[in-house]
Amino acid sequence: MATVTATKRRWDDVRLSATVFLGNKTAVAGLVIFLLFIGDAVIVQIAPGLLGVDNPDSVIPPQFTQTNPECVGAPPEAPSWSHPFGTTQYGLSGIGCLDLLQLTMKAIRIDVAISFFVVLTGAAIGTLFGVVSAYLGRWFDELLMRVTDVFFSIPFLILALAVGYVVGRTLFNMALALIIVWWPLYARYARSLTLSTKESTFIEAARAAGSGRIKIMVFHIFPNVLPPILVQISLDVGTIITILATLAFIGFLNVLVPELGVLANIGLGLAPLGYWWTVIVPGLVITAFALAVNLMGDGLRDVIDPRRRS
Amino acid sequence: MMLATFGLSKHFPIRGAFRATTRLRAVDDANLRIGSEEIVGLVGESGSGKSTLGRCLLRLIEPSAGEVLFDIPDETLKEYEEARSNADAARAADIAERFSLLRRSSSEMRTLRRHMNIVFQDPYSSLNPRWKLTDVIAEPMISTRFCTRAEADDRARDLLREVGLPEFFENRYPHELSGGQRQRVAIARAISTHPRLLVLDEPTSALDVSVQAQILNLLRTLRDKYSISMLLITHNIAVVAYLAEQVYVMYAGVIMERGTKAKVLREPQHPYTKALMSAVPIVGERKVRTILRGDPPNLVDPPQACRFHPRCPVAFEICGWTAGEIAEDLEFLLRGKYYATFGDQVQVVVESDERLRVEGISGPSNVQTLIDNEKAEVRSLSGIRTVIVQGGGVVLDLYPPVDPILYPTPDGRGVKCLLYRPPAAGSV
Amino acid sequence: MADVLSVRDLHVHFHTRRGVYRALNGVHLALRRGEVLGIAGESGCGKTTLGLTTMALLARNAAIPEGQVIFDNKDLVNLQREYAQRVGDRFRPKENERILRRLGKAMTGIRGKRISMVFQEPMTSLNPVLQVGFQIAEAIYLQDPARLARRVLARSKATPEAIQELLGVLQKTDGDEAAVHDFAASRGLRGLEEEALSIWRRRDIHASRKEKAIRGLPGPDLRGAERRLLETIVAAGSIPPRYSKVPVLSRIVRRLLIREGYRAARDLLTSLGIPHSERVVRMYAHELSGGMRQRVVVAIALANNPEIIIMDEPTSAVDVTVQAQILELVKQIRTSVNASFIIISHDLAVLADVCDRIAIMYAGRVVEVSPTEEILRNPLHPYTRLLISAIPTLEERPVEGIPGEVPDMRSPPGGCAFHPRCPFAFEKCPTLVPASFHPAKDQVVECWLFEET
Repeated sequence: MATVTATKRRWDDVRLSATVFLGNKTAVAGLVIFLLFIGDAVIVQIAPGLLGVDNPDSVIPPQFTQTNPECVGAPPEAPSWSHPFGTTQYGLSGIGCLDLLQLTMKAIRIDVAISFFVVLTGAAIGTLFGVVSAYLGRWFDELLMRVTDVFFSIPFLILALAVGYVVGRTLFNMALALIIVWWPLYARYARSLTLSTKESTFIEAARAAGSGRIKIMVFHIFPNVLPPILVQISLDVGTIITILATLAFIGFLNVLVPELGVLANIGLGLAPLGYWWTVIVPGLVITAFALAVNLMGDGLRDVIDPRRRS
Repeated sequence: MMLATFGLSKHFPIRGAFRATTRLRAVDDANLRIGSEEIVGLVGESGSGKSTLGRCLLRLIEPSAGEVLFDIPDETLKEYEEARSNADAARAADIAERFSLLRRSSSEMRTLRRHMNIVFQDPYSSLNPRWKLTDVIAEPMISTRFCTRAEADDRARDLLREVGLPEFFENRYPHELSGGQRQRVAIARAISTHPRLLVLDEPTSALDVSVQAQILNLLRTLRDKYSISMLLITHNIAVVAYLAEQVYVMYAGVIMERGTKAKVLREPQHPYTKALMSAVPIVGERKVRTILRGDPPNLVDPPQACRFHPRCPVAFEICGWTAGEIAEDLEFLLRGKYYATFGDQVQVVVESDERLRVEGISGPSNVQTLIDNEKAEVRSLSGIRTVIVQGGGVVLDLYPPVDPILYPTPDGRGVKCLLYRPPAAGSV
Repeated sequence: MADVLSVRDLHVHFHTRRGVYRALNGVHLALRRGEVLGIAGESGCGKTTLGLTTMALLARNAAIPEGQVIFDNKDLVNLQREYAQRVGDRFRPKENERILRRLGKAMTGIRGKRISMVFQEPMTSLNPVLQVGFQIAEAIYLQDPARLARRVLARSKATPEAIQELLGVLQKTDGDEAAVHDFAASRGLRGLEEEALSIWRRRDIHASRKEKAIRGLPGPDLRGAERRLLETIVAAGSIPPRYSKVPVLSRIVRRLLIREGYRAARDLLTSLGIPHSERVVRMYAHELSGGMRQRVVVAIALANNPEIIIMDEPTSAVDVTVQAQILELVKQIRTSVNASFIIISHDLAVLADVCDRIAIMYAGRVVEVSPTEEILRNPLHPYTRLLISAIPTLEERPVEGIPGEVPDMRSPPGGCAFHPRCPFAFEKCPTLVPASFHPAKDQVVECWLFEET
């Protein structure tokens, strides 16, 4: 009986969290859009054929021009039933007939993957440093804070560009550059969370119980720091995608990589000629994702905030 | 003796202070004794340093100076006391090396923690919200290697029952419990390793009276059953009266009085204890209170000599009046109540630590009358030794202050007040 | 004695995601003129909710399905009750918030002026970035600007001869309020008496010093424009909209009156036993000690001479010696001001010290109301008895906790809410809510044990 009530209580808790989240209509909308993006990314990764996507790693499918010679020099087509997002044209030689919907679906896979990779890695590094430095304090903390100050004082786009030009402009290096820019944010956040958790008397009780520093950090502080970090991660996934696109847009990436910023960049030369959708469509997709993630994050914040639960 | 401290002090460095020597003197020269199976009460107001002292005993805060001797045989303790009073440093160090907690390495300390634990005031923040109750209770057993994980889980269930909670609470989380139930869990955690010493830091202050009574009775039962010595830190005199056998009274980081509960609470001797006792509201009793003026002092720059003297209703000549304190009070009187006599021109100048000068008046007689009239109310004026006319004003010489120590009284307590200084020590 | 405030069958329910929390379930209570009424109870019994309801300061998820709070023949909760009754279960916090805003408007002139409240934590009820004097001044400025205007005008009009006469009246009547008031009114110096009396009543300075201070009252002449502004305010009894809306003009009026408010604040703090009040009014909350802060909060509550002062746990956040200071202060002000007090506390000993009557609350109902001596000597309700026996005393009498837990007010037990913990419960208790019984004069208890058969 005891375990039954315990399970029931746990279940109640989950249900309450769900109620709180579902009570926030905009958050639910955000979640739906977010799931669409994730779904797209997963399918393109596993079975691109299901969505009719060909060669997900490049803007132009292999032997595209050979099989469709009429596409060389074809102007972009406006959105229509056959091409809901319209088409775009790539390169100096002008390879046309490139369906924007397909490109977007390819790009989402890459953007979502990279942004998750960046955020999770950055969060892991930052949280580790933040927790350790706040808990140990003294010179280590001082050092970490000065290091993060340095990072904060340099505009992150410039820093990321600099990193990119040093190590080479590839997709992986772009992710690397963003991680370097991003981890100090998490270090600061985790540090402040740790400092407030450290004040709780249960940390003192753990010391009185004879628990060592590492045990306290891993088992007491970390579980209490994690939930707000997770919410922050969910919010940052959206931010990172916009930054990623920005970097790509200003020419960080090889133009053959299907990425939303690259797509917008391609469109940049076409838009003045009246082909507005070539820029607007990738831009809207980026905005939609960032917005959805933010709305969802707000809902999650409600869930972990005990005051908003009541 | 379960625990004895000698000259235990904790001075916190102040972050961002101009000089590195600026320190907050939270606890100064505390000599505490906790006998086996004894409950010792430590009372004081917030900021009196009582919690800091309690944490220093368990090395949750590292003391700045002093020794904490743990579980020391009475004969050895006596030997140590003698060695200290005879300035036999080598002998004292030898004993301290064996018994002082402060000389244990951190790994030795970890095993020793089995024998001591603490219960905190706020049951809401003293339990990790993300831990199950069994894990909370098992933590000290596992961390001090008291027993294995499996044994600890079993024992945690027994302990839940021991402190009056149903066994099926084992899988619950702290937020599902009421304040009283959480405090029971905190007690279960604290006694899980059969400790010999328990520090209780305001164990019932966050609880309702009906729950407080349950917790107090639980603590008493546990003490009787497991012969635990307890240090009960609280501002609630009634709680001390209910549980403790010995009582220490702290004010501004200093132990002011110590003695048996009956003596200290019923016939307080130190003026601070008297004021404190008179301030305690007792159900069904409307009494005349000694209302203390002013506020507890700033411990970065505490009052000289007796730290209580600025608020003490019976402070006298040598209690520690500084020229500044006297000048301020005198000026207030001259410009207020005695305005008619002295007029606008009068001015008090601090010449040195032992000398004041009143300017703008003619004869000393008026000043002398003022002092005589007001001495009973404005205690700082008693610090004026002589009133002499000199030059264009009146010069006031002050008494040198004397630092009180914890004077033993015939009925076996200690009172840190010059009123109880044995006459043999000589008078001023 | 007449009742200044009466609470009738008050129910307050909080609508939360986890269900309806029934904070108050039919409270009957009357505050008599000039008395100090204590409300005691454990956490969660609804005592603070009762205080907040009286001030119309409830959160937006609070519904009042039934009950009245009558002050000066007006029902303070009628809007909320009507809304709650109209919508029943379809209670919407957003809708209620609008009602509360309307209620707030209706409460101007009452809240902060005729009924004021002292909150538990003095640090959080003071604004950290404003001088404490400003906060007192503002309290008067917002509620009674005409009073401040009168004071400024009276000082500028007062002549040395008039002051001489005023001193004569003060000395002759030994500071009788009515006499001084009449004198000021007859000379057209209304407003002057307030300051003169507060100086006269000071105990920290000598008579000759007081005389000098009173003689120093006549202030500098006002400029013609300023005088006309102030005269309009006095005549209107409040600040006319054109003065509060026009940018420059409103600044001038505000500056004049707030400056006067500082003077009033100084007088008030001195009367509450704060030395050097002229320095204290320029300080910020963090510069003051706990006891001083609590005095400042009391001063804000007293600033407009309210008829009812509600103190919510005034001594819970402070030390015993400071608590003693505050209790003595309450005893002192109750003799000097013409107000009734409600003191809410979990500490029966504190209430026993200052209160005339004590109401004991349990699970959202007042279970017993009795004069203080009676409640201590002869508690009637079983809960009161157990509560008193749970308080440790210096006599080491064994204390006993009350078995069980405070009920979850989302689903309180039926009948008498105390029956699951009551050692005397019998068959009637779990089913029927107890009625009020009057077993002795002036004692009311809600318990079936006192039903006369």
